[in-house]
Order: sequence, then structure tokens, then C-alpha cells
Amino acid sequence: MVSSYVYFFGCVIPNRYPGVEYAVRWVMGKEGFNLDVKDHQEFSCCPVPGIFYSTDKDTWLLLAARNLVLAQDDRRQVLTVCNGCLASLLKATEYLQDPKAMGKVNRILAQIGKKYTGVPRVSNEGKRKVFDPVKVRHYVEVMANDVGLDAITAKAKRPLKNIRVAAHYGCHYLRPTERTTFEDPNDPVMIDRIVEACGGISVDYEDKLDCCGAGGGVRSHIVELANSLTQDKCENIEAAGADCIVTGCPFCLLQFDNAQKSFSKDGLPVMHISQLQALAMGIDPISLGFDTHHVSAHSLLRKLRGL
Amino acid sequence: MMGEVEKTFIGGLHEQLTEEKVIDESQLDPDFPKLIRKFGGKDVMTCLQCGNCTGVCPISLKIDYKTRNIIKCCQFGLKKYTLGTRWVCATCYRCYEHCPADLNPAEVMIALRHIAVREGIIPPFVKTAATNLVRYGQSVKPDPEIEKIRKELGLSKIGIDDPAFGKVIREVGVLIRATKYDRLIGIQEEVRW
Repeated sequence: MVSSYVYFFGCVIPNRYPGVEYAVRWVMGKEGFNLDVKDHQEFSCCPVPGIFYSTDKDTWLLLAARNLVLAQDDRRQVLTVCNGCLASLLKATEYLQDPKAMGKVNRILAQIGKKYTGVPRVSNEGKRKVFDPVKVRHYVEVMANDVGLDAITAKAKRPLKNIRVAAHYGCHYLRPTERTTFEDPNDPVMIDRIVEACGGISVDYEDKLDCCGAGGGVRSHIVELANSLTQDKCENIEAAGADCIVTGCPFCLLQFDNAQKSFSKDGLPVMHISQLQALAMGIDPISLGFDTHHVSAHSLLRKLRGL
Repeated sequence: MMGEVEKTFIGGLHEQLTEEKVIDESQLDPDFPKLIRKFGGKDVMTCLQCGNCTGVCPISLKIDYKTRNIIKCCQFGLKKYTLGTRWVCATCYRCYEHCPADLNPAEVMIALRHIAVREGIIPPFVKTAATNLVRYGQSVKPDPEIEKIRKELGLSKIGIDDPAFGKVIREVGVLIRATKYDRLIGIQEEVRW
């Protein structure tokens, strides 16, 4: 069965990196893979785990459940483009598996006329209704599993010849493993495979799975500490001779982008995997909103044109 | 530079522990592990003090923030010291992956944040994010410059003028008031609904 999705862009992408939103819509839409995906105007913040999950779990679960109800009523899977949204919403579906937690949430959600049940399973056997939790997906995983690497290669009109890409996965894409993960958290491959499917070279570098430094409120609280973690990562990436950094998370993107500005060197262009994919699929780079990025993507775009 | 960061943000845990050489019983809160459990942490008493969590912690490489020490302080009930360390965890969950006692230190840090907030220790960015949420429905404040670029790209406007937006704010306001989160964080005057 072909899945249907609803976009969940979160806060960082629409308000800081609109080019990522454009790229995702373009890749998913008619120009790209033509998937069944729609918008929902009433989503709020996921809410961000570093703030709400950290200070009051009840409020966090309520706000997350409200978003999940909207997807549930549409009978669609939530398509997140951000590791934070993924972690927050996925964890919420797991909390809501507990009938006690679900009841508590629903008593308050009733005040705004909503109810979380999960999605009823379509089956003819038996009369008892069975509900599955709302499915929360990540862009990277949808690309690798639902779209498939062969389809990505087939659509890559302008393969990323000789482009060396450093993939950064981000913590909340992989951990904690107590929740269902999409791939081996100690050896994730999906971003690397997508890069290769687009014709690029995915370079290996030291401490690839390390944190970018931004998560859990560290960036908001002590930007110097967050930046010093990023600096270590960037040094390893530069040592591997990469042309750009690619990530599946806009918050990691924001951190790499802003932190590199504070270093003395020029820095490497950073982008979301959807932007890189769109480039390989032949989009006009002007639509990718690189002017909102602090580190210029110019060097990469020149290399792509073979200059 | 990191020295400064350490002093300001981890509350000089190390100095305090070494300066006051004698910690008398009046400073210990025997119910502290119970309190941590109440806010979703596992039982800190199961910690073996093996130090794996510190070894894999990206923050402990940079500043004098040792996950194991904090867990030890939690076991003793040294509430005053541990609450000073509340916000430097990046919640990368590497400690969890390497913990042989299945303690999940990252969740303990999150429980410590819960406790700190209830003691009135609220970092300003938490208020900012919560305020943005009740005002704009998002924890990042919309930027007029970005709005211009969105228009150029042909993307829809962010909220505010959308009729659905008023409904989002209203619903978020109702939920935040229902859990008294606005009072907890001190943003009650921002919630209009």
C-alpha cells in the first residue's frame, strides 16, 4: 500500500531555513517523486524536547498529542524533516501507548474538542476495534525506504560528480535506542546511501556520530560550549577533505552554520539532505534559499558546475 | 574561555565540593533519589559508578562536568550542588547507550531540570521559547527578513494572518493553562485565552 503523509516542518525550517522547506516540497512534489503528501495549517511546535520535555513532561505530552491528533484524524503519517520533531513526536506516541497516560491526556484534550486514540486498523477479522499509534517518520528514512535508492538515482539528472560530502546524522535520529530506531544507531547508513544515490562521494571521518553541540538547550544556554563541540567536528570533517556537510536535522544545520561563522576560517557549506538531493535532481540553486545560510554555498555550486 | 563557562554554568561544583571539605548531614536530602524518580528518572541508586557515561559524554571532554559525579551527588542527596549543573547536558543519549546498569543518565539530567524549574531556577531561554509558543504557536520567533525570502520562493506566509492560526494559539493556550505551565515558568500574562 502506498503511504500518505502530512508535512511537519516544525519551527526552525520555516522560520530560519525556508530553502529547506522549498527543497522538501520540490523533491516530494510533482517535479520529484510525486508522493501523496499534504499540509496541515494547525500544527504547533512539536514541542521542542530541549525546552518542554526538559521542564514539564505533562505539558510536553499534551502539546505533542494535540499535533498527533491532527495527523490521526487525517489518517496520514507524520513526515518530519527535523530530528527534534521526530524525537518529540515519536516519544509521545510511545508514552500514549500507556492507557493511563492516554486517558489523562484525553481528559484535558476534551477541552479543545480533541481525542487521541491512534489510527484504527483496517481489518475485517473480529469486531473489536484495534488502534495503532500514529506513525511518525523522518524524511531521510522515507527517502531510503519508501522512495528507494534506485528511484533517487533515476531522478538524479545532474549527478554530484566528484562532490565529497560529510554526512552528519544528529543524536536524536539515532538515540535513545529504547524507542524504535530506523537503522543501526552505531552504524547508520541512510544519509550516506542517499548521497551516493545522488552520485556524490560520502566521506568517512573521525567521530562521525558525535553530537553537533546544539541539543538539549546547550546552544541556547552556553553558545561557546556548543561551538567548541562543533569545532572538533568541523576539524575532523575538514581533515577528510569534504566539500560540504549534509545533515537531516535543521537544528544541527543551524549549529554548524552559525558556529563556523565564529571560527576564523571560511568554513564548509552546510545543507539539509533535501537541498543536496534537489541539486542532484536539477533544481535551480536560487530556489534553495542559500542566502539565508551564513556560510556561503558558492564554493560547492562552482564545483558542481565543473568550474 | 571554557574556565569561565564552567564557573558560570556548572555552578563551580568541583570547587564547592573540595572547599567545603566536610559535608554534614544537614546538606543531604535523603528523599532526593525518590524525587528524581517522580520526574521520570530511573533509580540513581542502581548506578555502579563505572564511569562509562563520563567517558562517552561530549560535554565532559570540554568542561569539568562529569556525569558520574553528578549521579553520585544524586545518590547522596546533594541537591544544592546537582541543581547547578542542570542545563549543560546535550541529551545526546550516548551515556544511556553505554550504561551497564541501564540507568539512562540523560533522563536523570532531565529530571534534575524538572526539579530545578520547580525551585525557581529557570533559564531565560525557556521563558523565551514558551512565550514564543503561546504567541506564535512556534518556539522560534518569526523573522520579517525570512518572511520576505519565503515570499520570493513562493512559500506560504507563516501563521499570524492565517485564520487557522488564531485557533492554534487558542488551543495551545488552553493546554498550557490546564497544566499550569504558564505559572510554573512565569509567563501567565502572555496567555490571553
